[in-house]
Amino acid sequence: MGHVLRRVVGLLVLVMVMFVPVGAAAAQGAEQQPVVRVGTEGTYPPFSFHDPSTQELTGYDIEVIKAIAAKAGWRLEFVETQWDAIFPALDASRIDVIANQVSDNEERKAKYGLSTTYTYSHGVIVRRKGDDRIKTLADLRGKTTAQSATSNWAKVAKDAGANVEAVEGFAQAAALLQQGRVDAIVNDNIAVLDYLASTGSQDVEIAGAAGNESSEQVLAFRKSDQTRLDQADQAIAALKADGTLNGISQKYFKANVSVPDGGSADLSGGRGHRSTWEVVGNTAWPMFIGLVKVTIPLTALSFAIGLVLALFVALARISSYKVLAGLARAFISIIRGTPLLLQLFIVFYGLPQIGLKFDPFTAAVIAFSLNVAGYAAEVVRSAILAVPRGQFEAAATVGLDYSQTLRRIILPQAARTAVPPLSNTLISLLKDTSLGSVVLLTELFRESQLAAAESNEFLALYSFAGLYYWVICVGLSAAQKRLENRLSRYVIA
Amino acid sequence: MTDTTEQARIRVHGLEKAFGDHKVLRGIDFESARGTSTVLLGPSGSGKTTVLRSLNVLETPDRGVIGIDDVEVDFSRLPPGKAGRKQSGRLRAQSGMVFQSHNLFPHRTVLENIIEGPVIAQKREYDEAVADAEALLDQVGLGDRANAYPSQLSGGQQQRVGIARALALKPRVVLFDEPTSALDPELVGEVLAVIKDLAAEGWTTVIVTHEIRFAEQVADQVLFLDSGVIVEQGTSAQVIGDPREERTRRFLKRILDPG
Repeated sequence: MGHVLRRVVGLLVLVMVMFVPVGAAAAQGAEQQPVVRVGTEGTYPPFSFHDPSTQELTGYDIEVIKAIAAKAGWRLEFVETQWDAIFPALDASRIDVIANQVSDNEERKAKYGLSTTYTYSHGVIVRRKGDDRIKTLADLRGKTTAQSATSNWAKVAKDAGANVEAVEGFAQAAALLQQGRVDAIVNDNIAVLDYLASTGSQDVEIAGAAGNESSEQVLAFRKSDQTRLDQADQAIAALKADGTLNGISQKYFKANVSVPDGGSADLSGGRGHRSTWEVVGNTAWPMFIGLVKVTIPLTALSFAIGLVLALFVALARISSYKVLAGLARAFISIIRGTPLLLQLFIVFYGLPQIGLKFDPFTAAVIAFSLNVAGYAAEVVRSAILAVPRGQFEAAATVGLDYSQTLRRIILPQAARTAVPPLSNTLISLLKDTSLGSVVLLTELFRESQLAAAESNEFLALYSFAGLYYWVICVGLSAAQKRLENRLSRYVIA
Repeated sequence: MTDTTEQARIRVHGLEKAFGDHKVLRGIDFESARGTSTVLLGPSGSGKTTVLRSLNVLETPDRGVIGIDDVEVDFSRLPPGKAGRKQSGRLRAQSGMVFQSHNLFPHRTVLENIIEGPVIAQKREYDEAVADAEALLDQVGLGDRANAYPSQLSGGQQQRVGIARALALKPRVVLFDEPTSALDPELVGEVLAVIKDLAAEGWTTVIVTHEIRFAEQVADQVLFLDSGVIVEQGTSAQVIGDPREERTRRFLKRILDPG
């Protein structure tokens, strides 16, 4: 355990180090060069992100701004900022330029100094390799497409007459397409190119443009900063002319996105394509962290709280106060009569509408402990009722009151009957915590989902996650056996 | 403490109890003097066990008064809820109960069974309670089994621990509910011997039993019940030796000369 703890602490330190601005690392060239502070997210692959192996800030936008700086003679200082705060930071002169896939639009053009375009993107239709039925938007009528529910592309597909299946990201959509469960995907070409380049997938391809919508990405300066804007425009023109931009684009997308029509990707060998074993190896540790930091605490806390609640519900259920007994029965009936997933959604998405807002972990603890209470209450109730009547009477005659009788005489004996069914509840709960992934909890299963989305290694990663769950369950079963032996030590067979 | 020399230790008047429509007790009156043994006889369903359990308030009578020394409860005027439970608790604390099926706590050792009431309910000093318990175990002949679990004892030993557990409460009265009915015949003697010793030592006891010979020897007073009323009452010589009532005679004949 101490070993695990040390590794967890080590990881925390690592995470903290990651958030320290990497300005110093980017300081290149002579001291007298003017410093330009670059605002970027740092969490937006493949444009602006930290290389998992070196922790260094990198990405398409980062390399582009570095190339511009080299031409313009700037010294760069990167300031990692959340997207929501990035324009206010520019307004407040805490940064001088935004390099983060800023889309060109009229509103921004009026307020900021926007550079010439260094990324062009447009909608594309993706199909299974060689599926000639699908070439244009018109071909989507009556077909099924997979789209992120909230994206603009879902609307485009729907307007074209397609049935839209909601998914959680491009990788999942691509997997469905590859497996033949949907016919096509409409998406931004850059996201598609990134996917194709990073996975090296040969199973899907870009069929063609999805309509005429396109967008252009630019650098944003303050309106007053005309000098730097001019320097940037000159540098971009030069970098386009000498092929530098094309080079950077090819590295990330296997296509040239720095010109309006970059053509399709040349997919000979994906960027940094990893083998199945490498993917599993790289994901094993994050999954373990998800297990230790979320899955296990969530299970333990929910079970403990749930058991205490279950005891009170069980006592209410067998109480002679009719109202109390009725309430307990209603609670058990509702919990057992509705899906756990629905209960989780009510707590996480429903309760905020009446002003009860919980973070994901708290919401999950609430939903899971109530669920445990509903099921365990019946177990506890029947275990209490299975203790012979004479034990209650004997406790009464020696003068114990109700709570002393329960605590000292009845519950220790009821525990023996209750341990096997409660162990089942605990084991189910451990596995049910995987539902936490739908309320934004990054637990064990969610880690495997994220990794699978990135790498397409569904079978290997989900099997590996299953292995983690299974090992813990085997451990729990062994603990159950020991506990049962302990509790029956006074019973002569 | 009130003057107990003038009034009987146990005073029962007009006790009535029904389970649903079935009237189990239909007006029970009796008294037991301090230091005496009262034996309740009667066919099953006569109400004798209900009388005994009422003394310990394991059953709550519908009507009637039960008094043990200075604690007296009028059940027709028992307040509902907590106040009523408090009165019942005080009356219950006046007696110790020995059950037919011992009802020892299986997850506690012999010693722990005995000190549970004194330490937890009566809040007595642990060391003192243990010393008392050990003395009681010696008295019932189980001084060497203090750390055994009930399941490791024979039926007779279990029942003797049950008796020690009741005595440890230092009650005014010890109640026995058919203490030997669940035992194998060869184990009955050791339990009856302990009860006889207690009676001889001056404990006030009330005993429900089917052991007529034992009742004859131990009882200062015998009550014969049938259908919820006391049919006949007197010394054991009167009730067992020379019963007047036809129902008593029939019962004794059946029990002494079965078949």
